[in-house]
Amino acid sequence: MQEGTSTLPLNTSRGLIQDGDTVLLRLPNGDVRSIKLEKDSTVNLGRVGSFNASDLFNHTYGLTYDISGKKLEVIPPRSIQEVEDTEATNELINDGEFVQPLTSEEIETLKKSGVPASEIIKRQIEQHANYSLKTEYSKEKYKKRKEAKYSKTFTTIEPTLFNVCEYWFKKDQSRLRDIRCDTLSQMLHLASVRPGGRYIVVDDASGILVAGVLDRLSGDGRVISICDVESSPAYPVLTQLNLKKEALSTVLSSLNWATADEEYIPMLAASGTSREVKSERQKVRASKRKAAGDSLVSVREELFDGEFDGLLVASEYDPLSIVEKLSPYLAGSASIVVQSPNIQVLADLQSQMRQIPHYLAPAVTEVWLRRYQVLPGRTHPFMNMSGSGGFLLHAIKM
Amino acid sequence: MWSTARTIAAGDLVIVWLTRDLVQPLYVAPGKDFNSKYGSYRHADLVGLPYGSKVRARGGRGFIHVLRPTPELWTLALPHRTQILYLADIAFITSWLDIRSGSRVIEAGTGSGSFTHSTARTIGPTGHLWSYEFHEARFAKARDEFARHGIADRVTLTHRNVCKEGFTVEDTVDAVFLDLPAPWDAVEHAKKALRKDRVTRICCFSPCMEQVLRTVSALNEAGFTDITMYETLIRPQDVSVVPKLKPISEVSARLKEAERRREEKRQRQIREAQRRKRKRAEEEGEGEGAIQKEESEGVEVKKVKTDGEGGEKGDVVEENDGQAVEGKDAALDVRPAQDATASTSAVVPSKTEPQPDAEEAGQEEETIVVSKTFPEVRGHTSYLTFACLLPAALVTRASEPPPSKGTGDVEMAVVAE
Repeated sequence: MQEGTSTLPLNTSRGLIQDGDTVLLRLPNGDVRSIKLEKDSTVNLGRVGSFNASDLFNHTYGLTYDISGKKLEVIPPRSIQEVEDTEATNELINDGEFVQPLTSEEIETLKKSGVPASEIIKRQIEQHANYSLKTEYSKEKYKKRKEAKYSKTFTTIEPTLFNVCEYWFKKDQSRLRDIRCDTLSQMLHLASVRPGGRYIVVDDASGILVAGVLDRLSGDGRVISICDVESSPAYPVLTQLNLKKEALSTVLSSLNWATADEEYIPMLAASGTSREVKSERQKVRASKRKAAGDSLVSVREELFDGEFDGLLVASEYDPLSIVEKLSPYLAGSASIVVQSPNIQVLADLQSQMRQIPHYLAPAVTEVWLRRYQVLPGRTHPFMNMSGSGGFLLHAIKM
Repeated sequence: MWSTARTIAAGDLVIVWLTRDLVQPLYVAPGKDFNSKYGSYRHADLVGLPYGSKVRARGGRGFIHVLRPTPELWTLALPHRTQILYLADIAFITSWLDIRSGSRVIEAGTGSGSFTHSTARTIGPTGHLWSYEFHEARFAKARDEFARHGIADRVTLTHRNVCKEGFTVEDTVDAVFLDLPAPWDAVEHAKKALRKDRVTRICCFSPCMEQVLRTVSALNEAGFTDITMYETLIRPQDVSVVPKLKPISEVSARLKEAERRREEKRQRQIREAQRRKRKRAEEEGEGEGAIQKEESEGVEVKKVKTDGEGGEKGDVVEENDGQAVEGKDAALDVRPAQDATASTSAVVPSKTEPQPDAEEAGQEEETIVVSKTFPEVRGHTSYLTFACLLPAALVTRASEPPPSKGTGDVEMAVVAE
């Protein structure tokens, strides 16, 4: 965030780590942990070690730390190093040969005596019978594998929308309904989410869609999310974005499929006023009830007044029923974006929407993303790739 | 940026949607006319209409949709000055570079301004974009366009070759996007422009793998980390409504019936020929009859063959009671609906809805919705090479020779130059 902006910054923690933030930590083996940092609490990373959470406060994200004892030491970022091509091949290397005289017990003893990871790996290499036969590429792979096993380092990951989405997608993509980073960014663009805009979001995808819109708004704009539960919806994805509560409550409001229905009569507002107030406690309760009722009434009014700039949907329910229910509240020319892990759902939706004149050009697309290993002489797509980020339908409200 | 009012005003940019493949920008200037093969329209008639209206042509039968401009529609409608960036790449780059409200961003080159408009939208009034274009005519056009679109306050456009002269800001921006033929020449300049108090990001957009390798090498030498590369595409799906697939038992029955009919016909023709032969033999003399016999036999053999084929075709039309043909028409009707939607979709009102009574009525046919990827799609745009730059103090330390070369976690190797 820039200083001196008139809007309330929703996410002031981006950039420096603060007390109470939930941070993502990447371990040497590539695993990512999500940890809430509380002042003077101990963070335990298992094999990698433990440290005092406060030691990370006011640090920028993206740094790599080495844990020695319980102290953190920032280590410089690694640059790419040259690998010399040699004549070596695996012609004389056979599987199952006894090559490593250093036993796991001996390695364990070394680790306990505080010998650094780099030293253990060096000794393993020295004693490895066939190490010199390996190609340079193979040696690099070997070292990297050992590094992942023994090194006591971790890296903080900045909670950008991309990184948070990637973390959740890797953790359990079904909870995001297959919304991958590329899917999410395409949805935000297709809906033309801009600071100051007003959006209706239906998110049964752990809050990734709500998180995306909130992140793009950065405190300036409005989101009404519609959920399928009585109380306010749990959007676990929001945790990692470390949004400020006050700013969040002015931007995001939630209704459910009952309260978002124009026929619905709010119980709270009807019963809250006539009761006689007895004790202080009841007074507080009554005023809370009244506040909740008032806020519900005003959010409903806001929804029904319409003229929203876009509708974004990732839901387990029939998409046509959602789109038909909410499109009356969209402004002319507003975008409708619906995501589904299944093509059949959107193919049906498209064929139905085509027949309704107020939807212009519903189109179904599939998202596709491929990541590459970029090593000189070894640049190629990763052997494993994410199979699906789901499908999107985009249409314009007429 | 563009109008956020409910209705169209004079001077507004609107996007005219004629068909999916014909989307045009229009600056509303009362007094002027907009003419297309879909009819003629007065600009003045658009003023006061809500955005998203369908407008009928004057006197004609055509119509257009007038839409509120978005960077995504602008990308479809904009005048091409160069090869442009499309949605999939723009969205992914924006996301990886963490461009959002208030971000400060550099873009080089400006090109046709597709990325510029998208980024100007995303960063909002509190952010800023510095855009550089080395081609003078393109620069001038972009300058006029940005002023006209009301983004000149958040986009600083400079006519400059950044590979030679660098950027106009230092220690300022959160992200740099390079769409240049030789991005490696701008990497050091980019490093200067990026702010040093936090993690910053860069993306280089190159169509060729050779460019990627040189870029990776330059980024590494400049101290960038987390170097990675992606390719992203959008695969459009072709959805159509087709008759429910028939079981082979129907085909079998049809073929058997056709064969039975053909055989019947053949027998009928043989009987007919014999009858005629007998008749002629009775009517005419013996000598002439021998010649006639040969001729008519020849003709009949041919006739059986042609009748057989013709009969089969005829059977299909008859026996399938026109449903197959009608069904095919329905499927074909759906396609234009996809392009022009609103009006043409009325052509197929009942066909695509599941009709429970259809079978009983024997008239309506059951349909299914199917989807497939189009036969030819965009297979490659560019490789997206990304990297991070950590705060200055650390980068300095990193550029020293690595402390433990033998055992360091070697993720990548430098291209030997």
